[in-house]
Amino acid sequence: MSQTKSIVIAAYKRTPFTRAYKGDLSKVRSDDFGAQLIRGLVDQTKIDPETIEDLLVGNAFPEAEQGFNVARLMVFLAGLSNSTAGATVNRFCGSSMTTIHQAAGNIAMGAGEAYICAGIESMSHVPMTGFNPMPNPELMERMPQAYIGMGETAENLAKKYKIDRTAQDGFAVASHQKAAKAQDDGKFKDEIVAIKHGGKEIKEDGCIRGDSSLESLSTLDPAFDKNGTVTAGTSSPLTDGASAVLVCTEEYAKKNNLEPLARIRSIAVSGCLPEIMGIGPVNATKKALERAGLTVDDIDVFELNEAFAAQSLAVIEELKIPLEKLNLDGGAIALGHPLGASGGRITGKAAQLLKREKGKYALATMCIGGGQGIATVLEAL
Amino acid sequence: MPKNTIKPIEKVCVIGAGVMGAGIAAQIANAGVEVLLLDIVPKDTPKDGNRNAIAEGAIQKLLKQNPAPLMTKRAAKRITTGNIDDDLKKAGQCDWVIEAVIERLDIKQNLYANLDKFRLKDTIVSSNTSTIPMDELIAKSKAPFKKKFMITHFFNPPRYMRLLELVTKNDTDPEAVERIRHFCDYRLGKTVVECNDTPGFIANRIGTYWLHCAVTEAIKQDIDVETADAVLSKPVGFPRTGVFGLMDMVGLDLMPHVLSSLSNALDKDDPFHALGDAPKLLEKMIEDGYTGRKGKGGFYRLTKDKTKQALNLNDGSYFDAKRPKVDAAKAGKKGMRDVLTHDSAAGKYAWTVISKTLSYAASLLPEIADTIVEVDDAMKLGYNWKYGPFEMLDKLGTEWFSEKLRAENRPLPPLLGIANGQPFYKNIKGVRHYLGGNGEYHPVPRPEGVLLLEDIKRTQKPLLRNKSASLWDIGDGITCLEFHSKMNSLNPLTMCLINKAVKYIPEHGYKGMVIYNEGAHFSVGANLALLYGAAKLHIWPFINWFLNYGQQSYNKLKYANFPVVGAPSGMALGGGCEVLLHCDGIEAHAETYMGLVEAGVGIIPGWGGCKELLERAQVKQNARIKPLKGWVAPNFVPGGPMAGVLEVFPKIAMAEVPKSAFEAQESLFLRKADRVVMNKDRLLFQAKERALLMAEGYTPPKPPVFRLAGQSGVAAIKLGVSDYVKKGVASEHDAYIGEVLAGVLCDGKRGDINHETTEQDILDYERAGLIKLAKTKKTKARVVHMLKKGKPLRN
Repeated sequence: MSQTKSIVIAAYKRTPFTRAYKGDLSKVRSDDFGAQLIRGLVDQTKIDPETIEDLLVGNAFPEAEQGFNVARLMVFLAGLSNSTAGATVNRFCGSSMTTIHQAAGNIAMGAGEAYICAGIESMSHVPMTGFNPMPNPELMERMPQAYIGMGETAENLAKKYKIDRTAQDGFAVASHQKAAKAQDDGKFKDEIVAIKHGGKEIKEDGCIRGDSSLESLSTLDPAFDKNGTVTAGTSSPLTDGASAVLVCTEEYAKKNNLEPLARIRSIAVSGCLPEIMGIGPVNATKKALERAGLTVDDIDVFELNEAFAAQSLAVIEELKIPLEKLNLDGGAIALGHPLGASGGRITGKAAQLLKREKGKYALATMCIGGGQGIATVLEAL
Repeated sequence: MPKNTIKPIEKVCVIGAGVMGAGIAAQIANAGVEVLLLDIVPKDTPKDGNRNAIAEGAIQKLLKQNPAPLMTKRAAKRITTGNIDDDLKKAGQCDWVIEAVIERLDIKQNLYANLDKFRLKDTIVSSNTSTIPMDELIAKSKAPFKKKFMITHFFNPPRYMRLLELVTKNDTDPEAVERIRHFCDYRLGKTVVECNDTPGFIANRIGTYWLHCAVTEAIKQDIDVETADAVLSKPVGFPRTGVFGLMDMVGLDLMPHVLSSLSNALDKDDPFHALGDAPKLLEKMIEDGYTGRKGKGGFYRLTKDKTKQALNLNDGSYFDAKRPKVDAAKAGKKGMRDVLTHDSAAGKYAWTVISKTLSYAASLLPEIADTIVEVDDAMKLGYNWKYGPFEMLDKLGTEWFSEKLRAENRPLPPLLGIANGQPFYKNIKGVRHYLGGNGEYHPVPRPEGVLLLEDIKRTQKPLLRNKSASLWDIGDGITCLEFHSKMNSLNPLTMCLINKAVKYIPEHGYKGMVIYNEGAHFSVGANLALLYGAAKLHIWPFINWFLNYGQQSYNKLKYANFPVVGAPSGMALGGGCEVLLHCDGIEAHAETYMGLVEAGVGIIPGWGGCKELLERAQVKQNARIKPLKGWVAPNFVPGGPMAGVLEVFPKIAMAEVPKSAFEAQESLFLRKADRVVMNKDRLLFQAKERALLMAEGYTPPKPPVFRLAGQSGVAAIKLGVSDYVKKGVASEHDAYIGEVLAGVLCDGKRGDINHETTEQDILDYERAGLIKLAKTKKTKARVVHMLKKGKPLRN
């Protein structure tokens, strides 16, 4: 792949991720916490809002407070320049990674120099089916798996790849331990923008359970299939949160005294069978790596979105990802998975880790409901 | 005293957070009143420890207890907690303080003295004591305290037992008495029975004698507990559990306390002493933890594999329950007298216990109460007897009873002598009269605002009547539709009477209708056996006709030119719930359990239940939100076409039954304008008032138009239900019922946000869906199971 411009991730921020319904963000509108995050990104990077071409906002259920093309509204809420446009993007869990891809593509086309690529999701306020689920009855008759529930797809992968309960529990415990350690070591401080609400500051992640253990997880009942192996403990929790990434040309970063985290090397999306949507990262990653002329062995840092432990383990097996390079600061099972915001988090995180770990290449990839995968390859500058 | 001059009670304090205290606090919270619940500071509480832990723990227990003391979980928020060391000042500022602490005179007296230091001058104090005389309680109190003091004796569980025994003295402040009486009656829903200050008051005096007599005589006459319970239960109007079953329920450990405190307090010549001491066996059982249902078991117990066992009264061993067929009990079908004269050991036993108990009751007047009415009320409402002792004597015949006593050389209580063969109650010119101690009959008093069909029936003939229902004139131009079939199940005759009534009412100048009855339950729904019989014979056109007949009849009630007010109490299930959903207003007794439970027998509501709930969830709410003109499309459905459906679907699919009228109000079954009536005796009166109020300028409602999601909605619901099947929460047949129900609620045939679905469309879908389900094997199995076992089958 030939790239005429060097397009970089110059900054990555997120809100705290907190548990839906009971967490600190559960009573905050997602356009509000999203706008505060964007304001925080602009303030901390000291960029001139006038120079931002577009605010792209990923969201998996764009209705209610997330409706009305919320991206444009967040331009106003965040106090950006009126000249900055706004578009809401939906690819379910891949939404905010897609905004990064779109920005990169647009910049490559010469359509502007800087984009804010964000993602927001209040799973407390907008249910996962939306308020008015109305599937196409004809499609549902012909192909019910087009609307399959996510838990069931994880069960399917657990069966297909013979991933037993203990392996899943173990994976989840490791995720919590990594996240808890990162939290204790203050490794999230740089990326989290505190959210003000009702006279208080929300600044801590709310889903991580450092005390999670094999024993405690082994007591949970299956959550989706009475005969299955997937539990609430080995699934990513329902979460509220937002992420934001500044995508721009290397030149722009220099002009604005920003030290870029990583260069975007290649991107890909790929469809797969909806009933095993969790395997989506495999083909997406293969395509992205091929476009970059790289192999899995070249990658130093992997960020794989942990929708489910079973799903993650299946992808790890297929791609042969070395565990010591995977999700160094914990994954979605521990941190939470605010659908539309997760893609921005793992891409931004991969960029940040690449720099921190002084690696050469990083990969961020995730599965998407309905049967898709999305992947981004980053390289050090 | 006129109602409006009575000062309301707005804040109550209950001291003592044990079973009774907490239960009383819960009922006060149920009534919508703020309660402060106090108990002692737990022993050895550290300085920074929680000093209110006991009262707080009591609230947690209230939330878990079954049957629930709280009518809604929200009611618990009205209970605040404290402790008697720190919070007596707050207690003293309440309108009413109820003491429900341990039955120890010194502790109670001490508490009163402390409380009196903080008591505002109008604060009323009462004790829930069941054993200590009032004179002793306030022996050390100051005069102003004494004037504001009384005994208010609640029965356990306070939410469900309607009796409240009230003891006052001549110098008790009449205004305070009136305040308490009014509050307990209207707000707590109690029947307040005035008692004299004698040991055990009325109900426990007679009730304890009765239970103790049943135990000692069973041992003496070698009657086993099962036989005793078979005969001393339904056949004679005693609670279904029988006497031993009842003691298991109440708790055996309470018996020795009650017995000893009663026998210590009673005169030496009281016949109570002749029954003897509590059997040794009982002591041993309590020691070993056999305290009844709350312990390891009592006179009955369940083994680990759920086999019911009964106690051998001779040696204390348990044997597998035999459920014997007791002929004396069966004779009860002919009459109570046939039980007592049955030539068998069980018959003799029944006669001994009942004759002794009734004689004892008759000997206690005027010592314990002024009239027989109080005694009968107390036993009916405090011990769940179907008839009071004097009503039982009337059933047996006072002359017959007196003769039998004479024949056995037993003393005749003076009151039976005064009756001299005449009944204790007499119907004089349509008014119920009771026999007074002076040998004259006096009208049974009815408090203001109490209207009972039972009284109306004594003076009139129904306007319309058939085997299943009647229409009554309840005065002021209002009629009352009464169901009176078995369990008030609904059949074509019920519908026939509704049709006639709807014609009759305007033609004869009546202004409105109340639907009400005085059965244990408002209605258990459509007659299932009738439907099953028709289904078995494949007479589907009959079923379709019957369903349509019900739908049209209920719609006539809804669109009649006069208001129809539903006044339910107890269960109102299936068709019984649907008739209420078609009413223009509902006045519901707090203990009303409304629900569309059809799915339990494998079908869906077929008399407009789906339509009415959907209208409540969707159309009515839409009407309240006025779309902004020019900005919102004309077919705007706030919340979208699925919001209402998704609210209704689980209520029907999961056969949800709210456990009180307040819960029904939080659900869709009652509307905001519908009211909850705490006192069952006031239900008809209040419903009539509501009908009269609505009759002024009444216009019938406009038929709703629905905008539904059609097959897309059905697909959405199927998607959700299939997840439940995988989780193991729903069965395949549940899923099928769900799919049929979804087709009705979404208009699977033509539904679209741009299509107007009518009420009649949904009614047509209801009938078609119900019949479709009735044709399946699994639905048939569910119906058979319900008819045979009275419980739903999960298949």
